[in-house]
Amino acid sequence: MKFLISALLPAIGLVVFPAWQAHAEEPAPGAGNPAVTAAAAKADDIASLVIEPPVLSMEAGRPLSFLITARGLDGFETDVTDNAAVTVTVSDAATLDVEAAGVLRGKSAGTALLTVRLGSHQAELPVTVTAPPETPVSFVRDVLPVLGKAGCNAGACHAKADGQNGFRLTVFSFDPESDYRSIVQGARGRRIFPSDPEESLLLLKATQTVPHEGGARFERGSDAWRTLTAWIGGGLTWRNREEPAVTAILVFPQQRRYKKGAAQRLVVHARYADGSVRDVTALSRFDSNDKQIATVSEEGKITVDQLSGQAVIVARFMGIVGDSKVVVPADRPLPEERYQALPVSNFIDTLAWDRLRQLGLFPSEPCTDAEFLRRASLDTLGLLPTPEEARAFLADTDPDKRAKAIERLLAHPAWADLWATKWADLLRPNPDRVGVKGVYLLDQWLRGVFRENRPWDQFVREILLAQGNTHRFGPAVIYRDRREPPELTTMFSQLFLGTRLECAKCHHHPNEKWSQEDFYKLAAFFAPLHPKGGGISTPISGGNETFFVSGGGSLKHPVTGGVMKPQPPDGPEAAVKEGGDPRQALADWMLDPANPFFAKAMANRLWAQFFGKGIVDPVDDFRLSNPPSNPALMDALAAEFIRLKYDGKALARLILRSRLYQLGSAPNETNTADTRNFSRSYRRRMAAEVMADAVADITQVPTKYPGMPVGSRAMNSWTYKIDSRTMDAFGRPNSSSDCPCERNLAPAIGQALHLMNSDVLQGKLASAESQARVQRLAAGNAPPPEVVTELYLASYGRFPEAEELAAATALFPADPAAAAGRRQAVEDILWSLLNSAEFVFNH
Amino acid sequence: MAIHTNCDGSSRRDFLQLGLGGLVGFGLCDLLRLKAMAAETPGAAGKKPVNCIMIWLDGGPSHFETFDPKPDAPSEIRGVFPTVATKVPGVHFSEPVTKLAGVFDKFTVVRSICHRDPNHGGGNHYMMTGTPTPVPVGCGAFVTFHPSMGSMVSHSRGVSGGIPPYMAMPSNTRSGGPNFLGGQHSPFIIPGGPNAEHFRVNDVVLPAGIAEGRVKSRRGLRAALDRMKRGTDKRMEDPAVEFDRFYEQGFDLVSSARAQEAFDISREDPKVRERYGRNDMGQRFLLARRLVEVGVSWVTVNWGGWDHHENIATAYKGDALKTLDQGVSALLTDLSERGLLDSTLVVMLGEFGRTPKINEKGGRDHWPNAMSVLMAGAGIPGGQIVGATDVKGYYASDNVYRPEDFAASIYTKMGIDPRQHLETTAGRPVQLVNDGRLIRELFV
Repeated sequence: MKFLISALLPAIGLVVFPAWQAHAEEPAPGAGNPAVTAAAAKADDIASLVIEPPVLSMEAGRPLSFLITARGLDGFETDVTDNAAVTVTVSDAATLDVEAAGVLRGKSAGTALLTVRLGSHQAELPVTVTAPPETPVSFVRDVLPVLGKAGCNAGACHAKADGQNGFRLTVFSFDPESDYRSIVQGARGRRIFPSDPEESLLLLKATQTVPHEGGARFERGSDAWRTLTAWIGGGLTWRNREEPAVTAILVFPQQRRYKKGAAQRLVVHARYADGSVRDVTALSRFDSNDKQIATVSEEGKITVDQLSGQAVIVARFMGIVGDSKVVVPADRPLPEERYQALPVSNFIDTLAWDRLRQLGLFPSEPCTDAEFLRRASLDTLGLLPTPEEARAFLADTDPDKRAKAIERLLAHPAWADLWATKWADLLRPNPDRVGVKGVYLLDQWLRGVFRENRPWDQFVREILLAQGNTHRFGPAVIYRDRREPPELTTMFSQLFLGTRLECAKCHHHPNEKWSQEDFYKLAAFFAPLHPKGGGISTPISGGNETFFVSGGGSLKHPVTGGVMKPQPPDGPEAAVKEGGDPRQALADWMLDPANPFFAKAMANRLWAQFFGKGIVDPVDDFRLSNPPSNPALMDALAAEFIRLKYDGKALARLILRSRLYQLGSAPNETNTADTRNFSRSYRRRMAAEVMADAVADITQVPTKYPGMPVGSRAMNSWTYKIDSRTMDAFGRPNSSSDCPCERNLAPAIGQALHLMNSDVLQGKLASAESQARVQRLAAGNAPPPEVVTELYLASYGRFPEAEELAAATALFPADPAAAAGRRQAVEDILWSLLNSAEFVFNH
Repeated sequence: MAIHTNCDGSSRRDFLQLGLGGLVGFGLCDLLRLKAMAAETPGAAGKKPVNCIMIWLDGGPSHFETFDPKPDAPSEIRGVFPTVATKVPGVHFSEPVTKLAGVFDKFTVVRSICHRDPNHGGGNHYMMTGTPTPVPVGCGAFVTFHPSMGSMVSHSRGVSGGIPPYMAMPSNTRSGGPNFLGGQHSPFIIPGGPNAEHFRVNDVVLPAGIAEGRVKSRRGLRAALDRMKRGTDKRMEDPAVEFDRFYEQGFDLVSSARAQEAFDISREDPKVRERYGRNDMGQRFLLARRLVEVGVSWVTVNWGGWDHHENIATAYKGDALKTLDQGVSALLTDLSERGLLDSTLVVMLGEFGRTPKINEKGGRDHWPNAMSVLMAGAGIPGGQIVGATDVKGYYASDNVYRPEDFAASIYTKMGIDPRQHLETTAGRPVQLVNDGRLIRELFV
């Protein structure tokens, strides 16, 4: 068990300069790389020494963390705070102490000069110590942060629904008043013992002086312990009058380039509304968004690993979030000329190559024509190129043929069905809940939206403002399904803002700035929407409802009970006319070009369809701790989508034409480990509908879907209830499952078994119908190489290579009259192609 | 260490002995505790893995006409059939489950599980996942907000030998899906009637008309033609690599004589087939046994039509009860004779019980305040009644358990920690079962 806070603090009274050496931490993992650490310590390699943060002040009695940074001659900055060769002195020992490496403690009001030396280098900074505040220790300002850092109010501990052994706190202190009551009045007051604070059960448990299932959370004598003791002894103050709230936290260093294996301490300062600043490093929680690049300890010490790339370390204190950016450049940068020689089709390439250059990644070779056509057809339409299309494209010598193919794809009607299906994944309600008709109407409405290529902001506005009868207007059924404003809030914020607010429904978001207040203010936009009609309690919910906006309806905060005024996250309070539809104001805010969320969220969704993952990934999870893999590209793409007036096809055109999209999937010596920066094409499995249609198209034996018109394709299906074993095996979304979910494209045993053994595929291979491909090729007299070539073009969109041709034609019987043998050869070759990775994956 | 539990499912002493872990993040304390419990649980992890056959009676069977007759209740309430003595003196069942009464030494009946959702959709969800629906759902609804137990078992055990770990016959149950665990943990569905002469299990056996020799040549041909280069470096995250692994297993499965025999119910001794009853349900129970024998971790037999709002007396006199009584008693006897009961958990239930008072149409309506659940195998004692309903069968009254407790007990039997935290697709941590307490009578 590692103690959270005490690790930074020595026993009081042992302060001898340099005091920390006796407490020097073990070298961090990765710091064992001698080249790195040795370089940092050598005074010869240092250009200058710096103390950070640039302004240091504290109240007497409180700790203050600081950093000592060596600016190297090589341009890198190195944290030498823990370096044993550094000496630290203060000019006035009565004002402050050096308590440990990188930690000062104020003793009495005054100013002292802090001096650090390493070899011949020296830095100085005055440190101000102010008198301790006269106000008593406060529960809200001082105690809650201690409980949070110690993990007492974690969901698995005292913040479980029933608490833990009778002691219940609220998750991430969403209800501080209830927490206060639990501690002060709960268990008939036995948790605190004001006449002898040190004997309070709260402290005895937390220090494990008496048995505590959760172990020791902090040590006797630590700052945490002292805070609680002082609070209990000082009258259990709830909050001081005019107590300033935290307004921001500052994380030092804000951004830094690191060598591989480097280590860096973080310092977190909180700024309060009255301008005061406190060191809250020991009370902050830290998290790394990419643990392969860098990890961070509970105390806020970063360890950089051996990969080049970028990571963000997020620090959180009392619901406020700050970050420190980590950049790890490649050790051996590739020659600049190689990047300058890369072809550029549009800004996507410029920004992508720029990013790859920073990271020392080099893009893979361009894909072949055959790969391009197959990939672009699958991504744009969910269709494979037919053998005829593939043949014509491969034979075409026009240098502009890819651009022309892109135009043909964008004009194809299948575009609408693919995109309607993608949005239906996210919007389609459960037909068992809302009735079949409404689900069908929503499906048809979506198909219409994409057939017309309606701008994305427009159709989102229509959804946001939907009213009327669920049997007349498709989008209304979304409101029949998500009946309560909080449900709509969760869904719409995730779909349209790319922001997952679900956590904030019940408590402050654990990783982000979103509060419950933010959540319910957003929910308030939907409060005046009411249904009229059957509800959903009828046996199969087949009825209909009419949704309308009326003046009535308000939403209360579940904890404070206050009526919430509609206000979008990070936006201005909405001006809503009496009796008006507040959703109008929400749509205006969301779809305004200045909105920071919408365009990015939408552009990112579109991007992910073509690259297999978003620039922000998961696509609906934009947050400080999950930054875009290429921020400049994300911004530019969003700005371009706005400029294109949210024309989905126009943005798709730009993406399809980029050289980045047209990279091959084979890695080179630099980009094997790159799974985020698109330096090579990432393989992804065909989606369920695409797979079902592909098998039908290649075998030329259509699948008959029960309840759908003859000639319907899998991509036309509008409910998971339409029977299809193939689509089930390949994971079509099931709308009875509650969540606006992205497709899960993970391979599964059922998929392999289905392709190998199912009667569905075997039936299509064995079909004796005259139009069936196997039947036609088996019954005809085309020479075997021609047959094999057609099967390759149909399945892979390419010609077979010589070896492949030889292996496949060898299966044909020598005697052309051996009809059964020829049939079996055709069946088995096509079976093999359809069971191969080259078919199943888009690559 | 003897298991001595308090209402929270484990003793204070356990905490002291286990309380060494710091509470970093979520639930380490609970995890340690449950691990310790699981290790002590007969039939749990460490020994032969426990597989489960769940017989799901969709609609909600009556507790009065099966395992909880109330012969002394007024006539408008008591079971419409006479009671029969069971193997255990003093315990009586209702006449429709006479054969089960005869093998009561092999199972426990829990009479005191109850919840508060009187709708089929919600009740299904609660019992199948251990989690109530967060919003009210209609009666006809098929919903999932949380992974089903079968999907969680699949998630936790993974695939071995090419056999899908979670299967359902002849269709999935309403809330039997994986939710956020992902589509690969949906049940493998075996449709069709196994009583039919030419019945075949789909996908796990060779397609009709394809001989084994041809499979070998196809396998060779595929290897020759599938030349796309695989990203063997793990850091590449090439999905084709995992795809290959499933193909290897798939080929092993179709060439495994043992597995192929298991899927072929016609290879069963005809006498055994008779014992289960020559009807599709009876044969599904038999096929379920064959599947768990060959290593399927979870088999759900989904049986609809148990929503008797009318003429319950006629319905329970009919074929359904005969089929159930014969098939399930045969299954328990067969498992026991084969020595499989120790490693096979058998549970039979619906989403709720039925109203005590017979309605105007001679039926009983939805009643989640009491239900009887059959549980057997994996160390569950035979001949045991757990809990009780009040004299008229209205409410579970003694040793009352919730669906959370039911799910936690099943997971524990399967060697899965019910308090573990999973992450939803939205990245939110959720507990597999919220505060489930073990049904302690199942762990003696």
